[in-house]
Amino acid sequence: MTAICVEALEKTYKNGVQALKGLSLSVQTGEVFTLLGENGAGKSTLINILTTYLRPTSGNARMLGKDLYKNAAEIRTEIACVAQRTSIDTHLSLTENMMFQSKLYKIPKTEATERMKALIVAFGLERYMKYPVSSYSGGVKRRLDIALNMMSNPKILFMDEPTVGMDIQSRLAMWDMIKKIRSDFGTTIFLTTHYLEEADQLSDSICIMKDGKEIVQGTPLALREYLRQDMLQISFATKGQAKEHTAILAQSLNIKKMEVRESQIIFNVDNGLMEFERTNRFLLDNQIIFTGIGIVKPTLEDVFIRLTSDPAKEVGS
Amino acid sequence: MSILPILYRNIKWRFHNVFTVVITILQPMLWLVLYSAVAGQSMQGIGIENYTAFIFPGLVVLVSFSSCSSGGIMNYLMKTDGSFYRVLIAPIQRSSIVLGQILEAVLCTFLEVGIMFLVSLLFSVKIASGVTGIAFIIIIIFLSAFFMAGLAYAVSLILPNEVVYETAMNAIVLPIFFLSTALFPANTLTGGLGIAVNLNPFTHVINALRALILESTVIYADMIKVIILLVAMSGISFAWAFNRLSKE
Repeated sequence: MTAICVEALEKTYKNGVQALKGLSLSVQTGEVFTLLGENGAGKSTLINILTTYLRPTSGNARMLGKDLYKNAAEIRTEIACVAQRTSIDTHLSLTENMMFQSKLYKIPKTEATERMKALIVAFGLERYMKYPVSSYSGGVKRRLDIALNMMSNPKILFMDEPTVGMDIQSRLAMWDMIKKIRSDFGTTIFLTTHYLEEADQLSDSICIMKDGKEIVQGTPLALREYLRQDMLQISFATKGQAKEHTAILAQSLNIKKMEVRESQIIFNVDNGLMEFERTNRFLLDNQIIFTGIGIVKPTLEDVFIRLTSDPAKEVGS
Repeated sequence: MSILPILYRNIKWRFHNVFTVVITILQPMLWLVLYSAVAGQSMQGIGIENYTAFIFPGLVVLVSFSSCSSGGIMNYLMKTDGSFYRVLIAPIQRSSIVLGQILEAVLCTFLEVGIMFLVSLLFSVKIASGVTGIAFIIIIIFLSAFFMAGLAYAVSLILPNEVVYETAMNAIVLPIFFLSTALFPANTLTGGLGIAVNLNPFTHVINALRALILESTVIYADMIKVIILLVAMSGISFAWAFNRLSKE
């Protein structure tokens, strides 16, 4: 069943900025859907529209089979949104915050209390209950933010860049939490991020967007060649040296497309380890002076470049 | 009712930030205790026997303005570190959000007016019109605070930050206070100043409260006129606040 279906969505702000330019996507019930895009791609605008906070300029959006604008009040009871910034009232205690959320969604008190207890355990918040919320660390506040958004048992949970600014440990903990929400509560998760690895690790389905429009949508497996593509990077002392060796490397190693970035030559390879060894041997045998060589993962910009230069970019989900 | 969770959250905010009560009552209290004592002696010459009782209605309006203005500050704080945006996507009507916040400011006004009334008892301030007068006073204070809280709510959603908001609210409140009969009787004023004071709706609110405190007879027609005026003003300020929140 389709949880979210968006067609030709456009949003132009009063200041003339066009954040969405005919975006279309679909999200299936029960999946973790990731919207992958750089800052300013229009991800937050889309979330604001889907959470009924903003109205689009044109286009259609249906959620759980209902029209987003005609049935906005009804849809609000079935969704929740973990925003980029935590939205906890620091003057309320942990339990008061959660009960306040339940009152907003008109959940009966006994049911709310039971749910709160379950969520406190599920998100490991028991030991923080006796402390004031204002004293919590960023990570604990984020956990509470997610837990209280789950109070209404939403069918769809929107998470707007939940790991932005986090260290690697906190990010991994957040990934576990997202997996737990899906497995334990069966919630459809609509996630935005600009981390390729995050999208690859967590998602059942990924939509890559740029400049307010989707570029491609598919499963991580279908997008594997874009997301997990190995790249070889050879570093030289100067940009001039890098440019100087581009032709001979391309010719000798039979590489169709190479790119010079600053003092580095970068190119895609199918088998990272094998190409690393072959290229390294070639450089040494030909006494080409270089400062480093390594296998690197593509950045989001690399993926965009590949996708936009690839005529057969339609990837089935 | 959806208003109650918002009202509860805001009352908790007020208790958590008790200093907002202290700060907003401080200035009216200084007027009540110090200014009335100093100015009271010179005012006896123009026939005002108890000057504290004379300025008390004006100070009631002033304290209501102050406490309601602090309600607008709540919006800024809840936007940066609170549930402002989360509430907006919850299944709760915008009107309930505005009403919950306005009613908290009204309750805070009653708390501060109550404290000021207790202090004013030390200066022999009594309500001469009895129980009927008290009922009218409660209605008038409720409506005045409702109007001001709605205005503060709307203004806080227009202006970019707390500093600009505070400046704007002072620019609204102080002229209303000084261009009224809060500190002196209207019959001493003539010309343009007299007209400005008469056009100020709070001149009539203060005059009504003053009549209820100083006079034993309640003139119902005057009270009804003031209540109708305040109901209209409250309706406009609520509609404005609702409109601003809908555009958020």
